[in-house]
Amino acid sequence: MMRRPLPRWATISLPIAGALSIILAWQFLLPAAGVPSYIAPTPTRIAGVFQQQWALLFDNFWPTLVEALSGFFIGNISAVLLAVVFVYSRVVQAAYFPVVLFFNTIPILALSPIIILIFGLGMTPKIIIAAVICFFPTLVNMIRGLNSASHNEQELLRVLSATPWEIFWRLRLPRSLPMLFSSLRIASATAVIGAIVGEWIGSDKGLGALIIQATFNYQSDRLYAAIVLSSSMSIAIFLSVVMIERRVIRYI
Amino acid sequence: MTFAVQTRNLDVGYRNADDSVTVLSGVDLAVEAGEFLTILGPSGCGKSTLLRVVADLLEPLGGEISVLGDKPHTVRSRRDVGFVFQDATLLPWRTVAANIGLPTVVGGRHASKFDPNRITELLQLLGLDGLGDRFPHQLSGGQRQRVAIARALLNEPKLLLMDEPFGALDEITRDRLNDELLTIWRRTGTTILFVTHSIMEAVYLGQRVMMLAANPGRIVNVVDIRTAKSPDNSCKREDPAIISAMAELRQMLEQVS
Repeated sequence: MMRRPLPRWATISLPIAGALSIILAWQFLLPAAGVPSYIAPTPTRIAGVFQQQWALLFDNFWPTLVEALSGFFIGNISAVLLAVVFVYSRVVQAAYFPVVLFFNTIPILALSPIIILIFGLGMTPKIIIAAVICFFPTLVNMIRGLNSASHNEQELLRVLSATPWEIFWRLRLPRSLPMLFSSLRIASATAVIGAIVGEWIGSDKGLGALIIQATFNYQSDRLYAAIVLSSSMSIAIFLSVVMIERRVIRYI
Repeated sequence: MTFAVQTRNLDVGYRNADDSVTVLSGVDLAVEAGEFLTILGPSGCGKSTLLRVVADLLEPLGGEISVLGDKPHTVRSRRDVGFVFQDATLLPWRTVAANIGLPTVVGGRHASKFDPNRITELLQLLGLDGLGDRFPHQLSGGQRQRVAIARALLNEPKLLLMDEPFGALDEITRDRLNDELLTIWRRTGTTILFVTHSIMEAVYLGQRVMMLAANPGRIVNVVDIRTAKSPDNSCKREDPAIISAMAELRQMLEQVS
């Protein structure tokens, strides 16, 4: 049986109601059940942190945002460029794709200390970790995207005597965009993860450093506030990617 | 007599790294300039492969071929050939008008000059008025195929190769497009090589019907049906002469399948 789709008001109000129900349960049921506030501070206490310690949160928000965004751009741009090289040179792809594959199997947590050893404690290693974490999914998706033009589409451009540059610009690149954007959406979250992981391992600034300090000092309300802020950052980057995607891909 | 396509003992097929598969061998063919030739045959007989050799999408395995008096490669670089595929092969990110105008943005120095009037003219010619700003996914199958034909006509090709262009359409749409194609052919005087699975379509459109056989692929016969039609190559589908030509071809097709 076909189920009728939900009316429009419901598709907007139901998620809000769902989230509200959880926040309310958290606010009232968890303390009533005896969960101590150093494990789960209530939403109002977390909101209080935003009010009282705004300057502290804001000071730590900026470095993480700069690292995540720089890593996002550097990682994705280099993945797209390498994908183009791989797609146009089977020799280079055969020689270096396995190497890239091998690097991808190293857990980012194991790779991060090495990156910090090499680049020190500044922003650079965090940007590199965020870039590395974005790089591989975009590389693989972009290779697939650039190769996804159909046989007929390629023959069509050949009948029209298209130059290799025209085949790239008019066929392969636009063909790859849906796949590129699907990996950019994933990267919008992973770039923030990369920046935070980098800050955990060696930093006194940024939301990652704040999370570690708050954990060691049992400042759980501050810890939760830092988590809310980093999650909001991922959501903001994600929504920006989706907005750009809707502008670029108008034909679906 | 000038020929649009002429072949002598042509072998076509596919070349692998160390092997080649011949699909169609010993093709001797002469298509007159301005002719409408339909190509009929069972699956796998090499109909599409033959078109691809004429279009220089595939190199012949042996024999000689001349297209518009030149090598296929020269003709393709000059863009004197238009090709219409079975699926319309429209680029989904381009509007209808931009798809029709594709030959103006590719082709290096041979790219056609962009002329908005020409695109409007083609939209009208193919009954696509008012659809220029739509995207392909907003069109019906018949409309998409009309766009593909308009795109192939943009640079006024001297030779139009059509590989089962109406194969996936319903019968009413197909009949209508058959009539429109004949009108376009009469108006432009372009030579058309048209591959089809349908005997009706082959007879209705073609001045001559070339029948191919499979295993091994070869030309069995070329049936001239100009005598059964009016001088402008028009006919009624229920005309006795047309019905008997179809019966003759059906018998031939059964023998070679």
